[in-house]
Amino acid sequence: MSYAQKREEELEQLGAEKTEYKYEYSPELLETFENVHPQKDYWVSLNADEFSSLCPITNQPDFGTLIINYIPHINMVESKSLKLYLFSFMNSGEFHEDVVNKIGKDLVKLMEPKYLEVVGLFYPRGNISIHPTFSHSNGQEKYAKIEEHRFMNRNLNPQRIG
Amino acid sequence: MNLAKRDARAGTRIQYMSPELLFLAQSGQPYRGSLYINFISTGETFDLLDLKKYITSLRSLTLNAEDIAYEIYETINQSISSKDLGVVVELSARGGIQQTLSYGEAFELVKKKNIFQIS
Repeated sequence: MSYAQKREEELEQLGAEKTEYKYEYSPELLETFENVHPQKDYWVSLNADEFSSLCPITNQPDFGTLIINYIPHINMVESKSLKLYLFSFMNSGEFHEDVVNKIGKDLVKLMEPKYLEVVGLFYPRGNISIHPTFSHSNGQEKYAKIEEHRFMNRNLNPQRIG
Repeated sequence: MNLAKRDARAGTRIQYMSPELLFLAQSGQPYRGSLYINFISTGETFDLLDLKKYITSLRSLTLNAEDIAYEIYETINQSISSKDLGVVVELSARGGIQQTLSYGEAFELVKKKNIFQIS
């Protein structure tokens, strides 16, 4: 089986003739493909600048950038499915802190990565911008150390609105 | 939607900017972008809470990208009288192509850098 055939068999949404967009939280949209370089640890960073959800109390829209960094194990998230999944929060009411943890947990459940973190950089509301970070390791010593290091060294150089 | 009028000194040059524009493409995929509105007051402007609600209402509107600047221009034009009204919408890139749409009078955009944008 060729590389392209293998990848095509793994995925439904990438290359589909018609794409259906959902605007309510839909974790079932996420798809994975196999990591064919498991012998070597490496980082994957996914930056999503167009994330939007609603305040669950006021229904006002929130916006932010999500940064997802992970060290893959066997499964890796396919980026189009991630795009559709992130769009599906558009009409979902979520606090910033909750949505970052929710996305982190969904991705951990999906991929079972060696390590994964999700950073949310949300636009200010009432003069305050919220930047939650989710981090998770699979518990193996090397990755647990990374989780601890990232946790202990979070925001040593705090960001601010320019 | 009609934006409520508010008093503003005639001759004041007013520019509003929002980095939180979102509307739907014909495919259903959300478009994201920044909106710039510029005009010279003839004695009035519009209520900013109404503008916020109007921008929010666009989230469920399906439009061709090329029509978004006109849609916003017309809403403002029907709500208040002004001089040299111009609207610019800068959209996020899609398929490697970035679109900027403008309608009305040309003007210089006052840009505030978004430090969160990943380039």
